[in-house]
Amino acid sequence: MQLQQAQPVQEDSWIPSACSMCYSNCGILGHRVNGTVVKIEGNPENPVSGGRICAKGLSSIMTLYDPNRVNTPLKRTNPEKGIGVDPKWQRIGWDEALGIVTEKMRAAMEKDPRSIIFLGTAVDVWSASFNSAFGAAVGSFNAWISGAGPHCGNGEHAMAGILHGAIHTQVDYDRCNYLLMFGCGSGGGSYYNATLAIRGVSEGKARGMRMVVVDPMLSPSAERADEWVPIRPGTDAFLAMAMLNCLINEAEVYDAEHLNRHTNAPYLIRPDGRYARDGRTRKPLVWDSKEAQPRPYDDPSVAHPALLGSYDVGEGLMCRTAFQCLADRAKEYTPEAAEKVTTIPAATIRRLAREFGEAARIGSTVTIGGKTLPYRPVGVLFFKGAQAHKHSLLTAMAISLLSEVVGAVDTPGGLLGSNPRSFGFPGTGACSWEPKEGPDGLLISGAWGISVPSALSEIRKPESINLSELVPLGIIATGAPFTMIDPEKYQLPYKPEVHFVTGSNAVMTLTQPAAMAEALKNIPFTVCFSLFLDETTEFADVVLPDACFLERYEICNLVSLGGYANSAIIKEWSYYLRQPISEPLYERRFRNDVILEIAHRLGISETLYAAFNRFYRLRQPHQLDPTKRYAWPEMVDATLKSYFGPEHDLEWFKQHGLLKWPKKVEESYWKNFMHLRVPIYFEWFLDLKDRMEDLKKELPYGDEVETADYQPLPDWKPCAAHEQNHSGFDLFAFYYRIPTHTFSSTYNNAWLDGISSLDPNFYAFTINAETARNKGIKEGNWVSIESIHGGKVEGRVRLTEGMHPEAIAMANCGGHWSKYLPLASREGKGACFEQLMKMDWKCVDSTVHNWDLCVKVKVYKIEGRS
Amino acid sequence: MPRLGMVIDLKKCAGCYACVAACKSEHATPPGVFWCRVVKQETGTYPRVRRSPLPLACMHCADPPCEQVCPTGATQKRADGVVFIDYTQCMGCRACMIACPYQARYFLAELRPYYEGQGLTPYEQFHNATNGYVEGTVTKCDFCKDRVDAGKEPACVANCPGKARYFGDLSDPDSEISRLVRDRRGLQLHPEFGTNPSVYYLPI
Repeated sequence: MQLQQAQPVQEDSWIPSACSMCYSNCGILGHRVNGTVVKIEGNPENPVSGGRICAKGLSSIMTLYDPNRVNTPLKRTNPEKGIGVDPKWQRIGWDEALGIVTEKMRAAMEKDPRSIIFLGTAVDVWSASFNSAFGAAVGSFNAWISGAGPHCGNGEHAMAGILHGAIHTQVDYDRCNYLLMFGCGSGGGSYYNATLAIRGVSEGKARGMRMVVVDPMLSPSAERADEWVPIRPGTDAFLAMAMLNCLINEAEVYDAEHLNRHTNAPYLIRPDGRYARDGRTRKPLVWDSKEAQPRPYDDPSVAHPALLGSYDVGEGLMCRTAFQCLADRAKEYTPEAAEKVTTIPAATIRRLAREFGEAARIGSTVTIGGKTLPYRPVGVLFFKGAQAHKHSLLTAMAISLLSEVVGAVDTPGGLLGSNPRSFGFPGTGACSWEPKEGPDGLLISGAWGISVPSALSEIRKPESINLSELVPLGIIATGAPFTMIDPEKYQLPYKPEVHFVTGSNAVMTLTQPAAMAEALKNIPFTVCFSLFLDETTEFADVVLPDACFLERYEICNLVSLGGYANSAIIKEWSYYLRQPISEPLYERRFRNDVILEIAHRLGISETLYAAFNRFYRLRQPHQLDPTKRYAWPEMVDATLKSYFGPEHDLEWFKQHGLLKWPKKVEESYWKNFMHLRVPIYFEWFLDLKDRMEDLKKELPYGDEVETADYQPLPDWKPCAAHEQNHSGFDLFAFYYRIPTHTFSSTYNNAWLDGISSLDPNFYAFTINAETARNKGIKEGNWVSIESIHGGKVEGRVRLTEGMHPEAIAMANCGGHWSKYLPLASREGKGACFEQLMKMDWKCVDSTVHNWDLCVKVKVYKIEGRS
Repeated sequence: MPRLGMVIDLKKCAGCYACVAACKSEHATPPGVFWCRVVKQETGTYPRVRRSPLPLACMHCADPPCEQVCPTGATQKRADGVVFIDYTQCMGCRACMIACPYQARYFLAELRPYYEGQGLTPYEQFHNATNGYVEGTVTKCDFCKDRVDAGKEPACVANCPGKARYFGDLSDPDSEISRLVRDRRGLQLHPEFGTNPSVYYLPI
């Protein structure tokens, strides 16, 4: 290779933008010289990164310039579809490609617009509202996503919505002294605002914050912990229940003032589980200890409602307080019983509960910005590891109540919602929301935007492809593959005709790839906006070469501002632009531009613009005029001006990158400034259950819908893997997340591949050393992992002391097989956990549609392979 | 004269590999070459076990054995302590690789593209014109001397998400890194080799 002559510099610029290698959307600066992107760095001005980004963002240039990107529209010439079946791609022009797409969509719209199904990814959400506006114009809100959502957050998101009025939660690292995590990647580089969470944990530890991580594996987060508490997979709820028992019943450590003021803990519960209500107002009753009589919960004369106990509310009807109900339920979970189920010694459980209770400093206050607030410096985080099981909702409930019982919620030092309350941009008031009061004094989130879980949530006979009408608590329902395979059974009033895929490798990232393939094959026409000819694009009829995030304009939607990109640990609000560091290369086009052209060809631009005005909450005079025609950057310009005033237009944002303004105490720690209660007793779940039972009778597949978990109090229930004892299938397999890859999407990135190879675990199956030795397996051996459902993956093992003896783990989602991803599809590049799964309702949590991600497996050495 | 040095706080290091990527992106190092890397060390037995990251790079030793063995003078130490390689003088004898006790050096047997067999990306075409890598020579961390000369921190320091890395003047007893080394009992890696590294680690 010869040294080349440096070109004379004609252009040398640093461009502020936003990363999109994962859902954290860090603020970046791109360095461009003579049109070539030569470096990506964190933007120090942008609080969402603080100038420090992760390996993935730094490596994104390799995604931009990957020679395996799709660069031209393609069409399939082989009508047969299947995994590994060559589509025989033929290069076509944009005009022909959009002609085909438009014709198929028009035909589908004439039949029934709902037959057009949209598929996207949770990684790439900034344009989700744009996609919705297009859906509105088409007449179909039939959207589903694969991967991240169903695999991680649904239980947590439900609890974040119900208890915090937020999309998800973060710990107030700046003030937290005791961080307890259950199966969560925070601090290890794979949670919301990944790099900021790393910094929060680092600075917290430097301050003396104690970090305890409960996880079957010494995961990247557990590596950082002061104490790693290995747990049998799928038993986190039992531990949380036992800790609640230790706190409430054994040590009597709970924040009575918080529980009385901010929760429904004093509400009286009838023996049938429902609130005892005032005869006249129908309001839930509390027990006025002073007057020894029941009163409506919001009666101002009740200074000290009873928190514990059982009371005669009239005619001998004895009612326990909600908190007494929780205490009684927790009592069933002794540390000794927990030891048998979780494998954590009872003494350790008692110690953790004691440490946690003491660290909460119940009764203490801190003054911030002139406001004196409760100071509860303990945080409990949980995510995929704890909740990606059957009974996800009950696990999420049990763990979430630990914070609630000690009052460490939305107050300094504790667990914070991301972000329940925003006063909006000071200049215009745009981008504002806050929770409101719902039935029985309980809050309803203002930050969700869509399908907020609350007592008002609707349940209807499903017409949507993902059966979301049956999942009032889940932010993302995941019924799509079931309905796509058998639409008649699910009685959808249409048959899927067009699959409009805006980026998602669904074949690999939801469940059993073979079943996913059947689902995708069942839709007659599929168009994929793709960066790569990945395993899902293999099922496309037309492929459109999308621009990657370094080649496009995009704006943060309100959901992202609400928490997805702008979580509670960030002390400033910021709104920032994604703009091209490079012009789209080859024939690539950003899909929003293309969608606008498709809308034009379909003659639905007017409705799209009107829907855009609505979804983006544009104000006059900046609303789009439906009679005009706009390019995507013009719509970005209108949105920015509407939100931030005419002076802050696209040109302004292109230069400055972002607008930021400080978060107020009343926003960050809103709970102390709004009188809204949250449930510690989820009474309205009983109503959901009744309504669901009624609906089930109308559904021919009603027996597949389980309602048992709509219960007002948490529990541990075994997931399927705990009840399967087939001979030889003696280990629990699960997957975990690493800081150097995002789900399945980054495995062909040359730098990330090289960096991931440096870690002995990231591409291997991690197994307890003694367990491996007992199976005759040695370090570096090739092994098969065979699932109880029949699936199989192969790879190299890594023996470690840092793994529960009953478990084996693999990172993220490797194990690609597309020949168009030559780096990712090489042998030894991790495994696709979904190969071990089964597309079966028994593996899905009915209430929130989380998939069960622990599977019973047998592991054996592959002889003769090295 | 200053003596440039680095302090890495192991309590704040997340083992996230961002430094490895920051280094690669700053220097466009060839595939398989990691001037900065992270190794994970596991100690103990289940369930009482720890795994800790240890970020590694050139230690910029005050008494660098690599410099002493270099027959051509390609490896040099600047007055401020930065040890670097002048590729135009390196003959690829690799004596320095044997002499270096920290395995910080890489031999560029062949300059390969990032995507094997698929040509050079525009990124590589740009950087290959300026980064000066030469087949048959040795390469390693240069403490980001070009950045440092421009008044910036090394890339791995500036980007570290956990703010675990510090850069400064070890010869100034009042500098932040001197105070950290003193107050937190900073340690050099393998001081027994007698090379007096300019990289210190703050224990957990």
